[in-house]
Amino acid sequence: MITAKSKQRLLDVEKLSIAFGNVPIVKDISFGVDAGEILGVVGESGSGKSITCRSLLGLLPRAASVSGRIGFDGKNLLALSGEEMRAIRGRDISMVFQNPASHLDPLMTLGGHVMESLRHHFGQTRKEARQNAIDVLREVQINEPERRIDAYPHELSGGMKQRGMIGSATACRPRLLLADEPTTALDVTVQARILDLLGELNRTQGLSIVFVSHDLAVVAELCHRVVVMRNGEIVEEGPANEILRSPRHKYTKLLIDSQPSLLTLPPVAREEQAKTPLIEVDALSITYSKPGALPGTRKDVVRALQEANLTVEAGESLGIVGESGSGKSTVARAIMRLAEPSGGEIRFRGRNIAALKGTELSEYRRKVQMVFQNPFDSLNPRMRIIDAIAEPMIRHGLATRNEALGRARELMRQVELPLEFADRKPRQLSGGQCQRVGIARALALDPEVLIADEVTSALDVTIQAQILRLLQRLRSERHLTVIYISHDLSVVRKFCDRIAVFRAAKLVELGSAEAVFDRPKESYTKLLLQSAPRLERALERTGASDAGHGRD
Amino acid sequence: MSSLSALGQRLLQLIPVLIGISLVSFLLVQLSPGDPVRLLLGDRATAEAVAHLREQYGLNQPLIAQYFSYLSNVLHGDLGHSIRYQMPVGSLILDFVPPTLFLIAYVVAISVPATVVLAIVSARCRDRWPDHLIRALAILGMTIPVFWLALMMSRFFGVELGWFPVSGYGKGFLEHLHHLFLPAISTATWLVPLLLRNLRAALINETESDYVTASRSKGLGEGYIFRRHVLVNSVLPTLNLLGVMIAFLIGSSIVVEIIYAVPGLGTLMVGAVLGRDYNVIQGLTLFYALASVIVTLTIDILSTTIDPRVKL
Amino acid sequence: MISLSSASARRHFGPGAIEIAAGTAIILTWVVLAVAAPLFSGADPNGIDLIGLLQPPSADHFFGTDHLGRDVFSRVLHAARIDIWMGIAGVIPPLLIGATIGLISGYAGGVIDAVMMRMVDITVAFPFFVLVIAIVGMLGPGLYNYFVALALVGWVSYARLVRAEVLVLKNREFVTAAQALGYGPIVVMVRHILPNTFSSLLVFATTDAVLVLLAGASLGFLGLGVQPPTPEWGAMIADGQPYVVDAWWICFFPGLAATTLGFGFILTSDGLSRVLGR
Repeated sequence: MITAKSKQRLLDVEKLSIAFGNVPIVKDISFGVDAGEILGVVGESGSGKSITCRSLLGLLPRAASVSGRIGFDGKNLLALSGEEMRAIRGRDISMVFQNPASHLDPLMTLGGHVMESLRHHFGQTRKEARQNAIDVLREVQINEPERRIDAYPHELSGGMKQRGMIGSATACRPRLLLADEPTTALDVTVQARILDLLGELNRTQGLSIVFVSHDLAVVAELCHRVVVMRNGEIVEEGPANEILRSPRHKYTKLLIDSQPSLLTLPPVAREEQAKTPLIEVDALSITYSKPGALPGTRKDVVRALQEANLTVEAGESLGIVGESGSGKSTVARAIMRLAEPSGGEIRFRGRNIAALKGTELSEYRRKVQMVFQNPFDSLNPRMRIIDAIAEPMIRHGLATRNEALGRARELMRQVELPLEFADRKPRQLSGGQCQRVGIARALALDPEVLIADEVTSALDVTIQAQILRLLQRLRSERHLTVIYISHDLSVVRKFCDRIAVFRAAKLVELGSAEAVFDRPKESYTKLLLQSAPRLERALERTGASDAGHGRD
Repeated sequence: MSSLSALGQRLLQLIPVLIGISLVSFLLVQLSPGDPVRLLLGDRATAEAVAHLREQYGLNQPLIAQYFSYLSNVLHGDLGHSIRYQMPVGSLILDFVPPTLFLIAYVVAISVPATVVLAIVSARCRDRWPDHLIRALAILGMTIPVFWLALMMSRFFGVELGWFPVSGYGKGFLEHLHHLFLPAISTATWLVPLLLRNLRAALINETESDYVTASRSKGLGEGYIFRRHVLVNSVLPTLNLLGVMIAFLIGSSIVVEIIYAVPGLGTLMVGAVLGRDYNVIQGLTLFYALASVIVTLTIDILSTTIDPRVKL
Repeated sequence: MISLSSASARRHFGPGAIEIAAGTAIILTWVVLAVAAPLFSGADPNGIDLIGLLQPPSADHFFGTDHLGRDVFSRVLHAARIDIWMGIAGVIPPLLIGATIGLISGYAGGVIDAVMMRMVDITVAFPFFVLVIAIVGMLGPGLYNYFVALALVGWVSYARLVRAEVLVLKNREFVTAAQALGYGPIVVMVRHILPNTFSSLLVFATTDAVLVLLAGASLGFLGLGVQPPTPEWGAMIADGQPYVVDAWWICFFPGLAATTLGFGFILTSDGLSRVLGR
């Protein structure tokens, strides 16, 4: 076992610059990785971190021009021929990508992906490679590798696919693994186990890792040293705990301050609490079915929600948390009347919403509004911003076209959007700006309840902080009731008064934010809390050990 | 679910389609403005004779009853009687099937290898001159009227140079190959571009996919990646198109058969349309539809063996 | 990654724009030639000249004369009127019918979708040209009956195309947002979904125009389309077929005309699909 302390340089990047045509993406950066070290590369979108990572393996598109020096093993990788580079890829340096579903060939078995590396680099026979592939899959903690080796990617879960990709990348025992956001597409509990696996490979095989991520907390948990990137430049570099405890650069400070767990949101003044809850969800069940083989028949029933009970008080902020498939978004869809309950009911001010018709329904729609996850997807690409915001008022007959356009401008001001964006199309805006449009559109009907479904999960952390502050301000000003759905526990903790935890279509725990976070009753809630990376916890841990290598 | 019961389910799903097909081909005859009996007997037939024939063919029954008797006839293999040839439509079709079948197989045998080779060259030389040339020729191939090309080729290669016969079907396999060469080439000129454009797009699409980048990151060679990943993933969309195109081909072979006087289904069809031989039109239409249903089903079954994600 | 995609967009924009420009130029040239045919050729397209039969191309008759002594050049230009009209008018009714059916079927789902998709399955089971010939055979020859046959058969491709797009668009968040804002199904379909299918409809329709044009010419060739003496490219080729050995020009020029016009349409379609990113 190679100890993490041996300070032998494995990778030395000097004055690396990358440009696409005339557009510089990475500007003159230098950093190094020691043998046995895990280096974190942190940055927001557009920082150039993924491009840097790809350039190390020579995987950039032809249009890219790269200059500088990438030293590995005494060689300059940038000076190698294609043939020489291929001998290094997968053998000495390999890579794991963000989205395991698209990075595995759908027509090749899991074992096939591992075996092709072995056969290519070691010239193993099919039989040898198969035997070794089973061992590799076992190393990356895939259960029953003898059976799973013949499984196709679509038959496996996301976490399993990512393990398979790590297996196919580490099969030839490379010395350096480049991991480009390898856990971003995964649920927190799965993410925690993949991070454990990477740490394990680092300890047992002495594998050096370059871990690229947007998530400071994840990097803090895993990495020895951190490089912070912004706009193609390295703004700060150093041992993980030093950077996180005493950041020198103001951008690093901003990143840390934007972490939801460290974020300070102004308190919300709530009105007198009403006696009856605003929304009651009573034994709600929802099942989805698919059309069967014969016309008119249906099969494959998916239980999206089973017998859920919860209430929403006027003026409160209720957090709904859970992993993918937990049913958390289904609750929102049901309250919006976008999904039909198969059992139970939802009452708004005591009235069953399923019974609403005509003007009553139209009125209900105005009172309950929703903001969506994907900022670009939630706006009609062919509509101008101002029209998207004004349309609800016109369609509901609340205003003439001119009045609506005027009010839409006022709403743009409220969500802090510059008025010159009014005539633009969504694709001309950034993600955070689109999300503000989505909020303005939802507020156009002056709702009492705002359902926010993963509204910040597609955004950078600094933008997330801005959107959370905006929502908090709107809550105070408009006395909004908010249902905040998220997979991110630290955001929910900051933002919500009460929290409902969902798992596999069931409500498992419901209580005040303090109670759920500090005294969780259910084991699943505890697991979730444990799995979620949190900056302050990582700091505690690194503070306990000696400089640099937190996980040893 | 076992693949056998999946196949059973798929066949069950075909039933409404088959009923619909029979209904369409039944209603087709109702489109004709004239009275079929009058047509059969001529304008000067006595009212008595007309009434007698109506009785005999069940034409005085309600439409729905006529449909069921048509359906029952079809299920017993009776497609009616050809006025022009004075023989059952069923055996008439069987007489004319072999040249058409041979022609279609011939076209596919020429087109598939040509498509694969050209598409690979085009995709691998993307945006360089071989790609531009192949794409321009492909557009040209799609826009040349097949019957015109057939005519010009028969004049040049057949009459001028005398390399190939300009009509007929010949006897024996080799003569068939010789006789049908020009018809097959003219049809392939139209088919290859369609398949080629599709396969090229699929290849380029797959070349840019994430798993190709992942394969490169493992140090695999470009040739291996292309053969083992890109090509395999591009086959499926092209196979599906080929299925659709074979059905299409059945139709487009009609005109080519006319020009080269091939005694196939197309010649029979056009003769029937010009001679108002309604039973033959109806029977042929039904036959064509059944053939294309079988082609589609075969392609679907083939797809499941290629792609584990595809279910019947 | 934004920079990557914009770089590729730039790379694609150039050739796409060139293709559209070249394609539309070809189509427009044909439109001008067709509309102003008498200006380009003084000869009467149906003027029979029994003395000057089967004359080869010359300064008097650019494309020669046919078996009735008619000027082929003049006939080709006048035929363009019918053939362009056939290509464009033959596409519109199937497009309207198919897009409506696809939109409703995809959006409504359930029983409506199942029924409509069975109708599609049944119609596609018949090879396109076979069903067109069969319908025209039953209704009788002629341009009008060809359009009827096209409307009965051609809607299927549009219905499938639009339905596939709708199934994707239906799950986009902006459509859910429109539903959540309380817009009725018609508003959601027509205002929010339909406009987002236009670009693929346009691309497909330009290619389909060629198919319709060539199928129409084939019908004309078989004597089932436009009836003589009206000049139409397919029918002209049929007229020249008996004389193809000695007077190749009668057949050659109408076919060349059809090819160039079709080339213009496909070029435009390819360019559009590149620029619109499909």
